[in-house]
Amino acid sequence: MAAQATSVWTLEEGEVRKPGIVHIVALALFTGIGIVVGTFGSLAIPIGFVSAFWPGQAIQAVGSVWYGMWGGIAAFVFPLISNAMSGSAPLPVSLAYIPGNFVQGIAAGWVFRQFKLDPSLKTAKDWLGFTLVGILAANAFGAAWGTTVLRIFGLITPDAHLVAWVGWFLGNSVASWVLGVLLLKFISPLVVKTKAFCKGYWA
Amino acid sequence: MDQALPVASTATTRRMRKTLLGTVPVSSPLYQLHPVTRFITLVFLGVVSLFIDVPEINILLIVMVFIYLHWAKVDMSNLKIYLPLTITVAIFMFTVSIGFPSRLPGYHTFQFLGITFYFESLYWTFASYWRLMAMLIGTIQYFSTNRERETLVAIRTLKAPFVITYFFSLALRSAGMFLEDMRTIREAERARGLDETSLALRDRAKLYVMYMIPLFTLAIRRTDEISNALYARGYTPSGKLENGVHRSDYILTKYPIRRIDIIVISAMIITFITVIILRVQFGIFAVAQSPLRIFLLSLWS
Repeated sequence: MAAQATSVWTLEEGEVRKPGIVHIVALALFTGIGIVVGTFGSLAIPIGFVSAFWPGQAIQAVGSVWYGMWGGIAAFVFPLISNAMSGSAPLPVSLAYIPGNFVQGIAAGWVFRQFKLDPSLKTAKDWLGFTLVGILAANAFGAAWGTTVLRIFGLITPDAHLVAWVGWFLGNSVASWVLGVLLLKFISPLVVKTKAFCKGYWA
Repeated sequence: MDQALPVASTATTRRMRKTLLGTVPVSSPLYQLHPVTRFITLVFLGVVSLFIDVPEINILLIVMVFIYLHWAKVDMSNLKIYLPLTITVAIFMFTVSIGFPSRLPGYHTFQFLGITFYFESLYWTFASYWRLMAMLIGTIQYFSTNRERETLVAIRTLKAPFVITYFFSLALRSAGMFLEDMRTIREAERARGLDETSLALRDRAKLYVMYMIPLFTLAIRRTDEISNALYARGYTPSGKLENGVHRSDYILTKYPIRRIDIIVISAMIITFITVIILRVQFGIFAVAQSPLRIFLLSLWS
């Protein structure tokens, strides 16, 4: 089982992987999917700029697991559009979210590559890595960054910072974990066979 | 035949253009403006309120956007989806402000229903709410009046690299394809007798999650198809042909920039810079200058 898991990330003998147009297409399609999922998520529970239910984080996480840095780019690009379309955050706030969104996305991609975890979640180690780093740590940072941005923009008071963080972290984590697990479990076996799948960060 | 003519004529006069968030008549005067002019309204209206804390000005900006949308003949009923958001955001912001107020020394307080209210903290929330709404409505107006194609023309006019324009156009198109696929799957389920209205909220959420599997599978398959098609047509991320020459941009030839565009763009840029200078250098547009705030504080003394 361990050998099989490692093989997903290990280059075959003589295998050369370079970034190409397929990665740009994957990035664009993934961004499109993120726009829809992010917009639906924000409109489903319209609390506005505080993200109390946002399955978009699952798209960010699985995107970086499958497409490395391309998924990381999609992770901060699609919220710019989905936040605008759902009316959940204006442009300057969305721009300020970029570092938080990038980390929310790339954390899962990093842990899977660093510890050679299987994207199809086959062992307890895979589940643990995805849950602890890809969801909990990523959302803890994302929520901290997001609520700090809201505080700087004067949208929440300093005294409400912790409450907003807890709401954001819990709301995002639960929705993202459920959707993320399903996507990784059922779609990863298909994705790893495609040309767009990135064994490294860029290809 | 006699009846067919007026019907066809009515259909012609009511021809609508589907935008990213709604529909606008093809005859809308808005389409006299170049897409790049409309794109700059997004940047201008979506950002300018960042430098304006005075709620009266932000409310005025919102009114102006609605007048602009009315002039552009935008179907306002599409904007109703944002109504719950505007209400819940207000409830959230004021609840947080009342529950966790900023309590600086010298703030004016009053008691109501046994709760202590801090006027300055409350008024700041009021000002922040209208600033947020002005920026949101400034953003929504763009998506309500423009198509993917016009966004693409705008960023190409701004000389963005080919890879960026291609990425954005495919991303926006892909969002549309994703929704189209979702509609197909839902219709197939309904055809098999699924009644979504009879499902509990939890089951509906489960169903929504389960849609993702076939939708992602379709999107992943499409990635290979599109990249193969682009490769076969000789596209490269640089947008150059094999001999190093840039591909000619046919679409831009259909959208000439006119004098009205230059006037509107210049007006927006000058206003934007003026607002920033007035705010940063002279402290104008700060919340303390709000006439309503000054009036309310005068009632205290």
